[in-house]
Amino acid sequence: MRLFASLLLLLVASAHAEGIASLSPKLLPPEQAFRLSARVLDPKTIEARFAVADGYYLYRDKMQFRTEPVESGPAVLPPGKPKHDAFFGDVETYRGEVVVRVPLVHAAAGEKITLHADSQGCADVGVCYPPNPQQLTLTVPASGSKPGPLVEPGAKGWFK
Amino acid sequence: MVQVTPDTAAPVPQSRARRTPFFIALAVGVAALAIGVATALWHRNGDDGVRDGTAVLNLVLPDAQGHEQALAQWRGKVLVVNFWATWCAPCREEMPQFVATQARDGAKGLQFVGIAVDDPAKVQAFARDLRLNYPALIGGYGAIELSKTLGNDLAALPFTVVVDRGGRVVETQLGPFKQARLDAVLARLLPPQSPASGS
Repeated sequence: MRLFASLLLLLVASAHAEGIASLSPKLLPPEQAFRLSARVLDPKTIEARFAVADGYYLYRDKMQFRTEPVESGPAVLPPGKPKHDAFFGDVETYRGEVVVRVPLVHAAAGEKITLHADSQGCADVGVCYPPNPQQLTLTVPASGSKPGPLVEPGAKGWFK
Repeated sequence: MVQVTPDTAAPVPQSRARRTPFFIALAVGVAALAIGVATALWHRNGDDGVRDGTAVLNLVLPDAQGHEQALAQWRGKVLVVNFWATWCAPCREEMPQFVATQARDGAKGLQFVGIAVDDPAKVQAFARDLRLNYPALIGGYGAIELSKTLGNDLAALPFTVVVDRGGRVVETQLGPFKQARLDAVLARLLPPQSPASGS
């Protein structure tokens, strides 16, 4: 009988766990699963990084950066981990920390720059998030001085 | 024959001692069951109007060829609405299973409808590759918003909603829908035999 009670408990616990697993509270919001931050290293370079939480990954080819009003060149993305995709062919994914450099064109010290960072990723549990456009505002430090402070986007994604 | 002797009296406290852990286990079991049921109910009714499928059945979305399709045309069927995208690998991975289930149970009144949060050309290409045997509609921002009101507050994919013949949302699933669970849901909602072979 004790066995029966234990089985009942186990059954209830698993049903309970499934109930939670099937809804989103267990999943991190994309802003937490893929934490973006950026700083201006020098008037020619923005360094952006994504801290990818354990159990989540980002797609390299879905990552896009642009700046305004100052223009920037193509972002320098590190190589990702190759993954074969049945529909899209060979793709690359990122886990852990991803550091990207965005070269700035004609940025002046003290100038404010808006960085737009688009990303798209998934969780290993088998769900994907829609493309997530984020933005943050940076200030260019004086030439030859230290890099600017690390900036994170405000809590204003289109998920909220 | 009640023989109150020390020999027969002895087992009484012993069996009581044995029963006590059982009653504790049973009480814990019942409490857990109550919590489980309450949690399940809370999840089902946690969001306002979650169980009413009117918003789902009122959707009108273009298919990959650009023709408007009203979900209301499948009213009265058991409707499995799957939010997906080609950029979502777990979505694509579970779709062959949906194709097989549609082929198996379509005659019983089951209708799958895919709502792709995606570009029509990609949806068309993928549907062709997979030999999709159910409609692939193109969902925009409105479809994402609808999936949020059904409990998918992060707008993640895949997200699947089962609407019964009476237009009630009876099941929602974020992430891959296990075939065994889908079968259990459908067994509850579909007649045991197809109308053609029944009676």
